[in-house]
Amino acid sequence: MAAPPVLVQVLRERRRSLAGWAVAFAAICGMYTSIYPYMAEMNLQAMLEALPREMIEALGYDDMSSAAGYVGSATYGLVAFALLMVFAIGNGAALLAGDEESGALELELTSPLPRAAIYVQRLGALWAQITALVAVVFAVTLTLDLAQGLGIPTLDLAAATLQLWLLIGLFGSLAFAAGAATGRRGIGLGVAATLAVVSWMLNAIGPTIGLEWMSSISPVGWYMDSNPITRGFHPVDALLLALAAALVIAAGLRRFVRRDLMT
Amino acid sequence: MGHHPIEIQGLVKDYGSFRALHGVDLQVARGEAFGFIGPNGAGKSTTIRCLLDLLRPTAGVATVLGARDLANNPAIRARIGYLPGELVMTGRRTAREHLTYLATLRGGAGRERIEPLAERFGLALDRPVNGLSKGNKQKVGVIGAFMHAPELLILDEPTSGLDPLLQREFLALVRETAEAGATLFMSSHILSEVEAVAGRVAIIRAGRIVDVEDVRALRERAGQHVRLTFDAPLPAEAARAFAAIPELSALTIDGARLTALLRGSPDRLLKEAARHQVTRWSAEDRNLEELFMDHYRQTSADAGGEAC
Ligand SMILES: Nc1ncnc2c1ncn2[C@@H]1O[C@H](COP(=O)(O)OP(=O)(O)OP(=O)(O)O)[C@@H](O)[C@H]1O
Ligand SMILES: [Mg+2]
Repeated sequence: MAAPPVLVQVLRERRRSLAGWAVAFAAICGMYTSIYPYMAEMNLQAMLEALPREMIEALGYDDMSSAAGYVGSATYGLVAFALLMVFAIGNGAALLAGDEESGALELELTSPLPRAAIYVQRLGALWAQITALVAVVFAVTLTLDLAQGLGIPTLDLAAATLQLWLLIGLFGSLAFAAGAATGRRGIGLGVAATLAVVSWMLNAIGPTIGLEWMSSISPVGWYMDSNPITRGFHPVDALLLALAAALVIAAGLRRFVRRDLMT
Repeated sequence: MGHHPIEIQGLVKDYGSFRALHGVDLQVARGEAFGFIGPNGAGKSTTIRCLLDLLRPTAGVATVLGARDLANNPAIRARIGYLPGELVMTGRRTAREHLTYLATLRGGAGRERIEPLAERFGLALDRPVNGLSKGNKQKVGVIGAFMHAPELLILDEPTSGLDPLLQREFLALVRETAEAGATLFMSSHILSEVEAVAGRVAIIRAGRIVDVEDVRALRERAGQHVRLTFDAPLPAEAARAFAAIPELSALTIDGARLTALLRGSPDRLLKEAARHQVTRWSAEDRNLEELFMDHYRQTSADAGGEAC
């Protein structure tokens, strides 16, 4: 069977930009992980204890005494998490709706390919890019963990990575699907960014005000709970993330194959 | 095989609450070169986008190459060459990459014709498409539409942006393609742009087909504005002789100057004019709007409507 032409073309045209993102991710994640030994010496935990408990919990900085706790909150819980969200939502909205708005999609839409194939291949290109960047985060963190002997349990790190991948894929797919359903990049961006912020807030604030159900309905809660690495693998949460992504993808496709295009 | 390459029946298309097409009917026969003429906003691109299944009709059916249900027959587009009315080419890809990608989307068909067609139209294949001039972008579009030798070509304002030399090259390509047996459907807002190649034309206005006719008959009915200037004022008997020519109407003679509307053969007019010394001569095709005016006058007269 021939390679999927749209997927190949999109990845080919995005390879430079993707390489730039990968370098940035490697640098930032590398920096965060490699400063842990110095932070540990400074007795960060004692410093944090001076801050109000609610604030620490909301930031996810509640367990700085272990490398796993630190990487879980600083890298997986904040920096890589936020940057991946930005990348996935921005790209998700641009990949289909952005190209439809600019008119660039017309070439594919008037080719013999079915609409569904264009949707699936472009979505595949999004997931491939997300996979590459999540893999960079994992590889850099694992390498520095082994090099510095931080003792992060590798299985827990892998579990957190898998769940991070699902979460980012979910929000990237949401931006993609909302854009595909409407033909408006701005709607894809707006819907996904709003829901991402809302679910982050539900997870961050719920527990501090005693409303635990808030994080249990939040996709960010399914991923993070209090710390994505120390909590290990949660099959039910991973399944929830995967199901939500599948649902969003199916709904976007259903609308995309039925509506007027390029209007 | 009894079907026509394009059969449109009762096509209605709404954009929200705005009705762009009010029941369009059209048939284009195999091997025909068909012109689709109308002023800006008449609904040409809307009709064409329905044929490519970019738009879904509000009512009516468009059958293309025998496929009645276009939504479930995307593969039919492998046999169509489409030139969009507004070509958008973004990104840093070169013209070659763009056309090669298009060939790949069509399963490789036409890849080997990119090079010769680019040479024929004088297109530099290794320049990025987003920096190309309008005319050069149009060349990329034309090559993309023709390269896989499709049996049906749907061209939305194909000659816009091409200079006269390239228009001629384009028309030559259209003729070759028509001779090879392909069916052509091309839109324009100017009759003269399609009359060199089209056999029949349909005229669309405000979402309705107002006329479908042989292009020569239409041109004859449309007529030309003729202006003649003589070296001396015309005598009264000459004026009577011009007035007796049946092909002329709206005749005015003002001293040495004659203006009239000519429909049909210019033979009698030329022979009469040759009796005098002609110093200036011009004949100008009437434009589409004037044709519409004729059309409305005629239909309201047929219906016994008020005279104007
Ligand atoms: N996406 C849209 N939303 C709303 N109205 C539209 C849309 N596209 C076209 N129209 C309207 O539908 C009518 C027909 O437009 P269409 O583009 O089919 O005209 P056209 O004959 O191709 O004109 P032109 O010669 O300018 O290309 C116009 O009145 C136009 O304003
Ligand atoms: Mg148009």
